[in-house]
Amino acid sequence: MPVAEAKKRMVRINGCVASAQAAKYADVDVIAAYPIRPYTATMMALAQMVANGELDAEYIVADSEHSQLSIAHGAASAGARVFTGSSGVGVQFAYELYSPISGSRMPVQMMIADRTLDPPGDFGSEHTDALSTRDMGWIMGWSCDAQEAFDNHLIAYRIGEDRRVLLPQMVCQDGFFVSHITGDVELPDGGQVREFLPPYKHPYPLDPRRPVSHGPQIMPEQGPPLQLERARAMEESMAVIEQAHEEFGKIFGRKYDPWLEEYKTDDAEVVFFLQGAHAVTARFAIQHMRERGIKVGMVRLRTIRPYPTERVQDSLSKFKVVGVIETNMALGSVSSGGALYAEAAAALYEADKRPLMMSFMAGMGGEAIVLKEFYWMTEKMIEAQKKGKIEKRTHWVGFEH
Amino acid sequence: MSTKGTKIPDWLTVPFAGITPAPTQEKGQDLFPTGNWRAIRPVYRDKLPPCNNACGTNEKIQGYLDLVKRGKYLDAYALIKEDMPFPSVTGRVCYHPCEQACNRGKYDEAISIRAVERFLGDLGQALTNDVVQAGKPNGKKVAVVGSGPAGHSAAYQLARLGYKVTILEKSPKAGGLNRGGIPDWVLPQNVLDREVERLKQLGIEIRTNCEVGKDVSWDDLKKNYDACVLAVGLIDPNSIRAEGENKEGVLYGLPFLRDIGMGTSKVKLGARVAVIGGGNTAIDCAREALRQGAIEVTMITVEGNQEEMPAVPEDLHDMLEEGVELIHGRACVAVLGNGKVEALHLHPAKFSGAVNASPINIDREAKPEKFAVDNVIIAVGQHASLNWLPAEFKNERGTIKADKFGRLGDTNFFAAGDIVQLGSGQPLMVVNAVGDGKRVAFNLDKVLRGEALQPRTIPVDVIFDLNRMNMTYFPHFPRIQQTLLPPKTRKKTQDEVIQSFTEEQAVEEANRCFSCGTCNACDNCYLVCPEPCIARPERSNGLYKILVDYCKGCRVCIEECPTGCLEGVPELDFDTGVVRMDTAFAITPGLHGRQAEQLKHLDERAPKNI
Repeated sequence: MPVAEAKKRMVRINGCVASAQAAKYADVDVIAAYPIRPYTATMMALAQMVANGELDAEYIVADSEHSQLSIAHGAASAGARVFTGSSGVGVQFAYELYSPISGSRMPVQMMIADRTLDPPGDFGSEHTDALSTRDMGWIMGWSCDAQEAFDNHLIAYRIGEDRRVLLPQMVCQDGFFVSHITGDVELPDGGQVREFLPPYKHPYPLDPRRPVSHGPQIMPEQGPPLQLERARAMEESMAVIEQAHEEFGKIFGRKYDPWLEEYKTDDAEVVFFLQGAHAVTARFAIQHMRERGIKVGMVRLRTIRPYPTERVQDSLSKFKVVGVIETNMALGSVSSGGALYAEAAAALYEADKRPLMMSFMAGMGGEAIVLKEFYWMTEKMIEAQKKGKIEKRTHWVGFEH
Repeated sequence: MSTKGTKIPDWLTVPFAGITPAPTQEKGQDLFPTGNWRAIRPVYRDKLPPCNNACGTNEKIQGYLDLVKRGKYLDAYALIKEDMPFPSVTGRVCYHPCEQACNRGKYDEAISIRAVERFLGDLGQALTNDVVQAGKPNGKKVAVVGSGPAGHSAAYQLARLGYKVTILEKSPKAGGLNRGGIPDWVLPQNVLDREVERLKQLGIEIRTNCEVGKDVSWDDLKKNYDACVLAVGLIDPNSIRAEGENKEGVLYGLPFLRDIGMGTSKVKLGARVAVIGGGNTAIDCAREALRQGAIEVTMITVEGNQEEMPAVPEDLHDMLEEGVELIHGRACVAVLGNGKVEALHLHPAKFSGAVNASPINIDREAKPEKFAVDNVIIAVGQHASLNWLPAEFKNERGTIKADKFGRLGDTNFFAAGDIVQLGSGQPLMVVNAVGDGKRVAFNLDKVLRGEALQPRTIPVDVIFDLNRMNMTYFPHFPRIQQTLLPPKTRKKTQDEVIQSFTEEQAVEEANRCFSCGTCNACDNCYLVCPEPCIARPERSNGLYKILVDYCKGCRVCIEECPTGCLEGVPELDFDTGVVRMDTAFAITPGLHGRQAEQLKHLDERAPKNI
């Protein structure tokens, strides 16, 4: 594609608006909205698009997140492409619906702009809100900037609506760091989207002309086959995810590794393992440290559900020390820190070579992780590398000297 | 890859995401036999509404109110005609025990059933051809003696059963008590004429001026007819056994009304009239007296107060409104006057035992009160006149001795109405006579067909307790009252006092019906069932079906049935067509595979446009 033409479609928008634009390009049929900061801006933008006639969709304002997801569930059952979203405690208020939606195999898409869970009220980004639903059968991953957020929405629809998958997707971005910071986003042309994302059709939609029963009561022995099918769909989505990313790269010219972004890892001895927006700061910190000869790199997890176990094994086992930057809370968990450590460590258990692993509780409550904190964390990793062992598994960054 | 190498056996293969053909579809039930979870089964069991139960002829009142509610007036009329030959008459004159029994009376106000009945009766009057047809002739002849309510009803039902019926009426006009005992301003003559015409249209021959014992003998009846219904009523007025009762100006209640009704009255009343008696006939006489020119009408009763009077309360109220005075606790022992009544001697009196059911004690020692009058009308009941009846069929009360089926011994003679009901404890009212005539007609039919007569043994379940219904569904709503002519003017005319309902009023009033214990197709069960377990083949009464293979017995429909017609019956009470709980977790192998197969076929089926 000629560069000049693509430049014409460059816009400077924040993550929330990028998500709204993606929903518009995906030509969604139903939008279920309920406000909660910081994701609200997405719904504001969509409301404007519907009002302006840019997007022909049913825009339904629910009376709570629970209703919002129920509307999404119902609309998807009737065969609609559905877009919804939430933040923080709103994500959790809808909790009842996550399993039914994936269990009935409805490819609803939910945009998350992370917000710290209460108490007390805190608007800052922390991944615990969406991560708390990670085992509910939703395809899930984090973007680190507005462009990636835009792209991930389109890719996620393509994955979720694939007949081999039919699962809902949570497309997450950090609140504020992505949702409210503008970045350059290249909007596609309609033809590209049509080519990448064909119209959606559920195999058994609710239709009075051909009645079916969705979600009927079942016998205990009917449960395991259904769960097995859902597990299979999640596992088989991995191939679909890879295929979708590859095709996206071909059509749109932006190539993503579906699972991991590796930054300056070729000769790295210590790496940060993280997901989301702090990767942007991490890249600068790594550049600076590289200039001083420190062999540090970064591995960013792009998709956490399904978890790329083998890829994580292959990648992380190359390094001496892995420092997991959590940006989430898993109180009383295996590392007494966050959820990312536990899963990465579990993935590495079967690896031939295991790196030393430590967990950094950083970026909590939406605090920015500043450069000097990345330096501090790197020092801790190098210290462990020198000693050849982990003396303290989990560090609360900014509270130790 | 945890799912690698897994295989779901055919018999456990589930349809996609558990999506299945809807259980309401042909095979869906078979695929989801969750009925075996059920301990309680919902069953539609219609009860007898209290109004139907209280009605002397068991009119299907709830049924016709329901039809009126739906605007099906002709169907409603046809339904009422099953039990009641002349709703236009009872719609005006009935003492409406149904309204006293109406459960709505315990909630706010009873339904104005009689007014709706009158609305339907008048609708029937306006029809060129009645909806009722005579039965296929069976070649048998029945004589009905008397054309009052019981005779009319018996003749009507017999004609519907296919009998050739002849009514023998001693008066010049048919109608009996309906004509001779009920004033024009309650029941206009033309209304009754129309109902008599309807009888003729059923092929019934009415021979007026034909008196049994004079024009026709007992033996004639026996010889000329296959059977006979004696519905001669109580026609001779009771005396009060007062001294001087034979003076000029002394009148008797029923003959007084009868002569006016038949148009043969020569009476001219004076200004002051006393009516002796406290019943409905006495009230009619008092009110008629006003219309015949009396200025001051006084009613003298043995009953000590208004409540004790055996009268319909609203008639009593209307009478007082018209200015009739009441004197309680007095009996007349002498009629004074020189050849013509001038005054009465009244003495304190009361019933020796139960009110209206025991001899009267008159305090003859007391100083008599003199009560000046120009006329006195004695209305203290009637007795039978049965000179022509063989002695063996007479009883100690002077009425006809019949068994509980109305049959005289083992003859083909039957008796109906007041002539057998006097002293039975049943009020001697039009509707009760109609019911008696109806039942006797059916009994007669059975006897002529050689069937045995047996008392009804099926127990009836009547809802008297409002808690058996779901009252949250019924908002309070006041009864619609019929309008009445103003007392000042109405008491001088023969104009009908109580006015008819309009169509809107009839529908609105019918809408108040609780439909106690009877399914009225309200769709509530259909709507509240959390699963599609209730099929509604047609939106008409009683046509819901519980899909028992699928219903889990959650009881929601039972709890939410407004009328209380749905009942929860323990599953163990059923012994057929049941999958028991002990098989609950052992569904047929292969079921799920079949479900999955069904779902595949759904794809092939083209959607029908709806």
